[in-house]
Amino acid sequence: MIQALFGVLLGGGLLFGLVKGQGDAALTVLLGAAREGVETAFSLAGSFALFCGMMGILRASGAADALARKAEKPLQRLLGRGANPEALSYVAMNLTCNLLGLGNAATPMGLEAARRLGDGDRANNALCMFLVINASSVQLMPTTVIALRAAAGSADPGAVVLPTIIATGISTLVGILSCKGLEKWL
Amino acid sequence: MAVTVLMLLCLAIGALRRTPVYDAFLSGAREGLETALRILPALIAMLCAIRVFMASGLMDGLTCLLAPLFARLGVPRETLPLMLMRPLSGSAALALLRETLEQYGPDSRIGLIASVMMGSSETVFYTCGVYLGAAGVKKSRHILPCALLSWLAGSMAAAFLYPTP
Repeated sequence: MIQALFGVLLGGGLLFGLVKGQGDAALTVLLGAAREGVETAFSLAGSFALFCGMMGILRASGAADALARKAEKPLQRLLGRGANPEALSYVAMNLTCNLLGLGNAATPMGLEAARRLGDGDRANNALCMFLVINASSVQLMPTTVIALRAAAGSADPGAVVLPTIIATGISTLVGILSCKGLEKWL
Repeated sequence: MAVTVLMLLCLAIGALRRTPVYDAFLSGAREGLETALRILPALIAMLCAIRVFMASGLMDGLTCLLAPLFARLGVPRETLPLMLMRPLSGSAALALLRETLEQYGPDSRIGLIASVMMGSSETVFYTCGVYLGAAGVKKSRHILPCALLSWLAGSMAAAFLYPTP
């Protein structure tokens, strides 16, 4: 599926650009994007090292295992029994940081969790569920949106907090339910 | 603030349990750096595909094509570009939100729906691509369909929460 998405986005974009006579512009865009990817990874690498280093302390001290044991029951309900126990402490940290709106810390924790959940070419049920939850936004406080609304002169920038929580809840719920429903078929 | 407290907590736990905190930090940091390198190919591939797609103008065509369908479902036409951009690019969606808020006012129905749409979903394609890259998985099974369903549900919920007066 991800292969098809890549093909459709890239192929469709290139073809449509060519038809419109912007064949040369595409190369500039592509090179710019590739460079942006490298720059993003390098700027992220620093924060990954920092947060994973902190997690390293928790792991070496045994606190990460304690956290994983505490979170094991609810997480196994969510992800299914097949989940790699080593990944659970990272999953727990990722979900907590996401809920608190700490995106900087949530991303490295999530990637470490995904790395440990993955086994082989085919995504297992636990990895599927974890990725769907992460792609469905679990953030409770839409801080960026509130700041933008305030900048635009809103009389009540925070008016969207409750509706956003409701909409986020619905989106995550639909993600979880559809994932549980489809995992038997695909 | 919260991050500072969490980090202090990590250090305190490490010290209490007599962990060699420096060594532990280094081994964790090494893993983080490996992960950053591991996601790089997926990151570049996804960014290239998304940027070319956005630059080609296919987005405008898609918006026009889908506008009648979503108008019938209760999503205002003015918020459709933002809704469709949201899974592709966070920064582009944020720019669209800023424009929408300025043009229609942050407290208008359009402005409120756009705000909730922005806050209730993620950059689905980018997130999925990078996380799959970290997991080293080739067959993504039902991940994308489910992630897109949840995006659709969140966006539709945003529109339903502010019905036409």
